[in-house]
Amino acid sequence: MAAARRNPWVPVAGLAALAAWPLVEPALPASLQVGEPLTEVFIYAILALGLNVLTGFTGLLNLGVAAFAAIGAYAYSIATCEVYPFQLGFWPALAVTGAIGALAGFALGAPTLRVRGDYLAIVTLGFGEIVKDVLVNLDAITKGTQGINPLPPPSLLGTPLEARGQYWLYLGFVVATFVGVRALERSRVGRAWISIREDELASRAMGIRPDRAKMLAFATCAALAALSGALLVSRLSSSGEPSNYGFEVSIIALCIVIVGGIGSVRGTLLGAFVMVGMNSIVLVRLTEVLGSGAEGMAAAAPAADAGMLAHAWHFVRTWAHNVLLTPTNWKFLLFGLALVLMMVFRPQGILPPRAVHEDPPQPVPPGSEGVRA
Amino acid sequence: MLRAAAAADQLAILALARADSLPAFASDGVLSSSEVFSQQLVTGLSNGMIIALIAIGYTMVYGIVELINFAHGDLCMLGAFFALTAVGAFALEGAGGAGGTAGLVALLLATAAFCGALNWSINRLAYRPLRSASKLSLLVSAIGASFVLVNLGLFWGGLPMEVFAGGTSAAAPKAFPALVEPKPAFTVGDVIVSRPDVLVLAVTVPLMLALTWLVRFTKLGKAMRAVAQNPTAASLMGIDVERVIGATFFIGGALGGFATVVYSIYNQTVGFQMGYRMGMDAFIAAVLGGIGNLPGAVLGGLVIGVVRAMSDGYVEARWTNAIVFGLLILILVFRPSGLLGAKLREKV
Amino acid sequence: MLRKTASALAACAISALLIAAAPSAPAATGSAAPPSLTIVSSLPRTGSANSQTTSIVNGIKMAIEERGGKIGEFEIRYEDMDDASPQKGNWDQNIEAANANKAAKDPTCVGYIGTYNSGAAKIAMPILNKAGLVMVSPGNTYPGLTKPGAGEANEPKIYRPSGTISYFRVVPTDDIQGAVACEFCAKDLGSKKAFILHDRELYGKGIADVFKKSAPGMGIEVAGFEGIDPKASNYRSLVTKIRSTGADVVFYGGTTQTNAAQILKDLRSGGCKVPFVTPDGTFENAYIEAAGKDAMAPESGSVYITFGGLPSEQLTGRGAEFVERYKKKHGEVPEAYAVYGYEACKVLLDAIDRAATKNDRAAVLAAVAATKDFQGALGTWSFDANGDTTNRLMSINTVKDGKFAFVKAAGGGTGQAK
Repeated sequence: MAAARRNPWVPVAGLAALAAWPLVEPALPASLQVGEPLTEVFIYAILALGLNVLTGFTGLLNLGVAAFAAIGAYAYSIATCEVYPFQLGFWPALAVTGAIGALAGFALGAPTLRVRGDYLAIVTLGFGEIVKDVLVNLDAITKGTQGINPLPPPSLLGTPLEARGQYWLYLGFVVATFVGVRALERSRVGRAWISIREDELASRAMGIRPDRAKMLAFATCAALAALSGALLVSRLSSSGEPSNYGFEVSIIALCIVIVGGIGSVRGTLLGAFVMVGMNSIVLVRLTEVLGSGAEGMAAAAPAADAGMLAHAWHFVRTWAHNVLLTPTNWKFLLFGLALVLMMVFRPQGILPPRAVHEDPPQPVPPGSEGVRA
Repeated sequence: MLRAAAAADQLAILALARADSLPAFASDGVLSSSEVFSQQLVTGLSNGMIIALIAIGYTMVYGIVELINFAHGDLCMLGAFFALTAVGAFALEGAGGAGGTAGLVALLLATAAFCGALNWSINRLAYRPLRSASKLSLLVSAIGASFVLVNLGLFWGGLPMEVFAGGTSAAAPKAFPALVEPKPAFTVGDVIVSRPDVLVLAVTVPLMLALTWLVRFTKLGKAMRAVAQNPTAASLMGIDVERVIGATFFIGGALGGFATVVYSIYNQTVGFQMGYRMGMDAFIAAVLGGIGNLPGAVLGGLVIGVVRAMSDGYVEARWTNAIVFGLLILILVFRPSGLLGAKLREKV
Repeated sequence: MLRKTASALAACAISALLIAAAPSAPAATGSAAPPSLTIVSSLPRTGSANSQTTSIVNGIKMAIEERGGKIGEFEIRYEDMDDASPQKGNWDQNIEAANANKAAKDPTCVGYIGTYNSGAAKIAMPILNKAGLVMVSPGNTYPGLTKPGAGEANEPKIYRPSGTISYFRVVPTDDIQGAVACEFCAKDLGSKKAFILHDRELYGKGIADVFKKSAPGMGIEVAGFEGIDPKASNYRSLVTKIRSTGADVVFYGGTTQTNAAQILKDLRSGGCKVPFVTPDGTFENAYIEAAGKDAMAPESGSVYITFGGLPSEQLTGRGAEFVERYKKKHGEVPEAYAVYGYEACKVLLDAIDRAATKNDRAAVLAAVAATKDFQGALGTWSFDANGDTTNRLMSINTVKDGKFAFVKAAGGGTGQAK
């Protein structure tokens, strides 16, 4: 698989299809219209591309990437909302947001350079929880659970954009992020990141300064996550409640990166479509299609002297009525099952990166006898 | 390990002793400041010990397969539903005296067996096929398993049984009957040490001792340590690595089973979303102590329990989570492999 | 390798398309034959709020069935949207925005019933307002959504970008409910010192704030005001803190989902027997079930729940008829919120009926806004200039023998009397 060459036309065709989608969509039957969730895919894609820099390229597991998105969302909200003194426009506010995000990345990255592996994972997780709590608790500044609104919509050349314009703008951001991250990957610093992931000691010996490279990775990840947060809130016109940037968001972002193919930029992009699409399109449609079969299942209890079988049947019917026949009750299960199955059948992800070398050297996984022999 | 358990014991005894030595204030229901402190300590230690029990199962699995097991808390959640079903089916509630105690012991053992078997099966289905894959794929599989378990909990709560209030609101939290009544075992001034507090101690300490014995002195324990150390070498020495891993998952799950019964009796609530916090606390405790380190997990659990209680009591409840995580980060910045963890091996 | 990936992806895509395409059959027939109008509801159907929202949806469906699923020549279609996501287990802002946008884009859609959570309403309101689509909420109680001066300085103006009012609700707001709760504590319970807790969410904190603000005027000293962690396993340490202040009543601004029952249990097992008062977010059977009979036993201490309306059994006239029919159909007494789902849908259908052009959103919106002396299940009421119901009747309830029991009516305004 290492040598698999990819058809350069696939991404071009994909991009063309995505760009044309808003024009095609209205012509399709209602049931094929997807609309909104695609913009959500774009936002998650930017978040995950950022995470991929830190976790995919540099090998630092981050379970709190939503915190950077939250910082971005609030930075953007405070910079633009009419109730604060700044009231910047869309583009200047984005620039400020990116800078604040990068600073936040430094702030978390610097003190934790010594912390490694899963210990780092929980530090980032904790950071995520702290940021969320601080945003709720400091309601004098952040308005707490009220959320900050209204926010100006995204604009281009001074014209506020409506849904379709936002779609294209956000698609543009995804493309720019994609190209940027690809360029970074191939740059000096990108190669430094990958070499740190593969072997920190060896890369140090080669003259790479791991601390600096790691800090840069943190800052890049945080800036992109902050950008995604800003794009999210400007579209919703509200910062929402801080609880919207919780652990679940971090987990979804991580799943996107890993399901897509950890370390692979294309994979991450595809992962965003698969994961968010599954969540916001397929599962939603599925439950709509199935409707609720529960109503017909309510039944009177059988007489006390009825047979065992009658009682058992009533038990099952009532259970089905209570939960089983309501399709929304299956969402967690389908979502989880899909994750497990994807990993079991394609542990390397959908589009793994073109392997530079074999898997990163790590303690030999148990059960793979003889690997080291 | 043994030392840590003993230390935990001592801490608890200390708490009681401290309470004992307090002058008895008039029992007007309003606590004096030293009574408040003692009461918070009792609460913190009880909560901490439950966290510790969950964390041990968590950290054992981590020690062997290096998996951040996101499904562990949800496994405990299903254990709680199992226990509640058993309570309903065998009418354990209200059985007092010797029958009640026997019922409680049976419930503990059955739930432990259930959770152990379930954890073993999850390992077979969701983790074992990924043994040679990257750790992160394993992590995602665990996240997926956790979602599946959560959903099974939702279904379970819809069972048309009386203990689930007929199952009409499957998603709502369910009351777990107070098999050990939340009555004071003894009071000192106005400080209450309740019977559930004592139950926590009575279940946790022997289990920790038994586990220490298992890991230190049995053949299985030796094999577990060998696999944790170096699976390849272990398999070359004739150890059936997969069997040992399976056994570890079983034991880790069983500990979760014990913990979840104690948790349910202590808090009197089960709900399909309770696993999140259980798993999170166990994760923090395990990391704080040093992942894979059993005494560390116990210490971590106790620290978290006490810090939570003190923060609720003396700071503000809304800052408690931030304080716990802040402390965790601070400790990890200065001790990057936890309180008792061995220094991570730098490659040579 | 690549080919394999490509074919796997193609398979994925095709199956996704199949799933997406499946419902096109009924939709096609619906749009072909008789003209149809769509009413959607957007409520959290996944996760812990499911039991209340199910009863709300049942209420909505009953209101549509009552009209035979038809108004004039238009067939009424109903779509039950979920605004929760599995990973959150609660309402999700992205999905709420998607639902609102989807409804706004659907030309047959003339009414949006929702949301359940006030936070979700903040997202949906401006979207629907711009689309001129009327929104009727059966559950939002945060005052700032409609009342100038009750929330943030720029509320509710920011939810009405088009300048017209398009959001209405059939439930009385928290500024009334919080004050009623406080008055009840002071006058009926004789409380002098209250410990106030809240769940740090829009609804819970909002109502706790109102309680706190009303307390001094009622002669109640605030012994403590704390936001809790709604996911904590227990609150024993908080109970110790409460005991140490000597508070004689505990008010919790929160819901069953944010652990109200757990707080009650910990109070009781921590030896604190003071009355425990909660708002309507706990007025559902799940609260009683979650707390268990020991914590709810009268000898453990009293429990009170305020509610923005009357409980199902106290409803008279059309309300009682609704409860009767609901019982017949679903075999159980409806949750308190069911009647609000029913009423929200009924008022919407009534407006469609009155509208000159039934498939014109602006006409339907105007008809809803003009609702006067509506004779519904909640009594006879109107929408005021802000879009709020003139119905301000509240009730105080307690729990007896494992069931909610009505204590007294409070508040005022129009109500059952008519």
